[in-house]
Amino acid sequence: MTLMAAVDASVKVAGLQDLTIHRSVSSIPFAGRYRLIDFALSNLVNADVNSVGIFASQPFGSLIDHIGVGKSWDLDRRKEGLFFLPTTHQNGGIATVGSFRDFEENLQFFEKSRQTHVVVTSSFVAGQLDYKEMLASHLASGNDITEAIGASGSLKSYILSRRLILELIHSYREKRILSVEDLVNLKKAPYTYGVYEYKGYFAIIDSIQQYFKESLGLLDENNRRLLFLPQAPIYTKVKDEPPTRYLDGSDVSNSMMANGSTIMGNVKNSIISRAVTIGRNANLDSCIIMQKCTIEENCELAYVVADKDVYIEKGVKLTGTADRPIVLRKGERVTKEDAQ
Amino acid sequence: MNEKVVAMLLAGGQGSRLKSLTYDIAKPAIPYGGKYRIIDFPLSNCTNSGITTVGVLTQYQPHALHRYIGLGTPWDLDRHKGGVTMLPPYAEIDGIKWYAGTASAIYQNINYLTSCEPEYVLILSGDHIYKMDYEKLVEYHKEKQADVTVSVLEVPWEEASRFGIVNTDDDMHIVEFDEKPEKPKSNLASMGVYVFDWKKLEHYLEEDNSNEQSSHDFGKDILPKMLAEQKKMVAYPFKGYWKDVGTVDSLWEANMDLLDPSEGLVLHDPAWRIYSSNPQLPPQVITDTGRVQGSMVNEGCVISGTVNHSVIFQNVLVEQEAVVEDSVVMSGTKIGRGAQLSRVIVPPDVTVPENYQLLEPAAGITLLTQDLIDSWKESGQQ
Repeated sequence: MTLMAAVDASVKVAGLQDLTIHRSVSSIPFAGRYRLIDFALSNLVNADVNSVGIFASQPFGSLIDHIGVGKSWDLDRRKEGLFFLPTTHQNGGIATVGSFRDFEENLQFFEKSRQTHVVVTSSFVAGQLDYKEMLASHLASGNDITEAIGASGSLKSYILSRRLILELIHSYREKRILSVEDLVNLKKAPYTYGVYEYKGYFAIIDSIQQYFKESLGLLDENNRRLLFLPQAPIYTKVKDEPPTRYLDGSDVSNSMMANGSTIMGNVKNSIISRAVTIGRNANLDSCIIMQKCTIEENCELAYVVADKDVYIEKGVKLTGTADRPIVLRKGERVTKEDAQ
Repeated sequence: MNEKVVAMLLAGGQGSRLKSLTYDIAKPAIPYGGKYRIIDFPLSNCTNSGITTVGVLTQYQPHALHRYIGLGTPWDLDRHKGGVTMLPPYAEIDGIKWYAGTASAIYQNINYLTSCEPEYVLILSGDHIYKMDYEKLVEYHKEKQADVTVSVLEVPWEEASRFGIVNTDDDMHIVEFDEKPEKPKSNLASMGVYVFDWKKLEHYLEEDNSNEQSSHDFGKDILPKMLAEQKKMVAYPFKGYWKDVGTVDSLWEANMDLLDPSEGLVLHDPAWRIYSSNPQLPPQVITDTGRVQGSMVNEGCVISGTVNHSVIFQNVLVEQEAVVEDSVVMSGTKIGRGAQLSRVIVPPDVTVPENYQLLEPAAGITLLTQDLIDSWKESGQQ
């Protein structure tokens, strides 16, 4: 029994708009150096799934830039490997995972494969789902479709046979179902439905509040231990950043720091991505700072999410709350006047 | 670069003064700067200079290097045309020919060079740390219409007698080579970086090979011979950071140089990246109790103790109440609770026990070994 995968990178998630103006949910930066889709892809390759279709809708430039030919995930193969399958529909992407219309457009991906079973998964859940174990559970149950369920809800990952997904792609219109997620939620006859109970760490990123909470949740050592398993690495695009520099006079505690940054100020309870500069006497508390941001000296930031390339001029003071963090959009420049 | 330049990177050196660090690996494979190996610098210089054909000559403990460089992917040297080629010594019908000297290493790969059809050959050393645009060097060589160009660096006068000194006239034409002179006439040291016209080099390599008196070395044999025959030899003045890390002390110094943003080598330069093989590790974490000052820290580390003025490689754990100062801690190391290290190089994958202290700290830099740790344990100090 072997697995292939359909990763849904086209799902529209309301509530993440500020982070998805220029990118899909799947390529939102997470945990300092990753994009959300890294977790789904890494879980798959760690279970030896080597035929992976990524179903994408606009805007997918950032996703393509990130994934490339799949080299970081060892998916640059002669045989099988990575298939980038964008939808041709102008308004592609629906609110549920595993759109049959998108699958229908790429019917050959399913028809020409040799694997017996298919994983259909979302790309906005970070976890360590073991697809080998999930497949074994699916086969043992004898059910038609198995859904992965964790302590706080569905991981939006499903296993079904390739034969069944082909049957569904041919009949979804008359059955009036939109997606695999839709089918499982409606529990349409005549199929049988089972669950696979996942016991590990996972984070569903479907709102800014969730994004903020789950990101800072990684500062808890237990969560980190469950997400970053030495035997099941999370792979991401390589950037060749040098190690992070901590200059004299900086003070960093309880924070997760990616490479390539220069830290001169004070950082606590925060997540700092690659190649960030934090100026002298800047104070950051409970912030998520993405790639290549610059925070000039004497800034005071609390509960702020700064998307890529944000530039905060010196002396700016911004204070959000855990429920309503201040979100700065990609490339924004914040001056002292703006902040008042 | 338009003209065909082939770089030959000499990476067979043992580096015996680096003691246990080079028991199993060649000197160019030594870890440096928190995530790199020394050979990343000349390889990245090639990539950044647009040189896409690179031969890497290995001899001493080559396995780690061969495995590390692989197809050359991290340096973008996995090319259809050219790319990186590993060149260890090989057997011919009349026996194995070890590389006796730098020149014989190149001579024995004359077939490789011929197949590359170069116009210019750039000779590089795999054990120097520097950032250099070789394109400018080759342009200079062409402008001067030289037969060979030797890259030179100004060194402090008081240190000049440690180097191979190059004496020139006002137009940078080389008039004399002075190997480790007692009374140096100039402070221009050869960096062991040469550009040759391929045809000239081929001629001198063949001549040198048939000379039984020769030690088959560029500095000792080939260059003096060319000078004696009045070939056009010029010196190219290189400005910038350059370090030959031959000893434990100089390896430590080169790492410490990175911590001084004004004096040392700048790694944080997107326009001149140093490429390296990247392990897939999560970001580093500084915990509630961690404190890091004046240091560089790589991915995968968890710092719960104090790190001061140090270079910390990937996957290092510094436990609570441990203090690491003025030290270089290589990958996969665990510094136990309460341990204190100062002016130490910790090799990869060492576990420093709780409360460990160096009993008799040496005047210089200590290369920590399992023996030192074991004798500390036996002394019952913990």
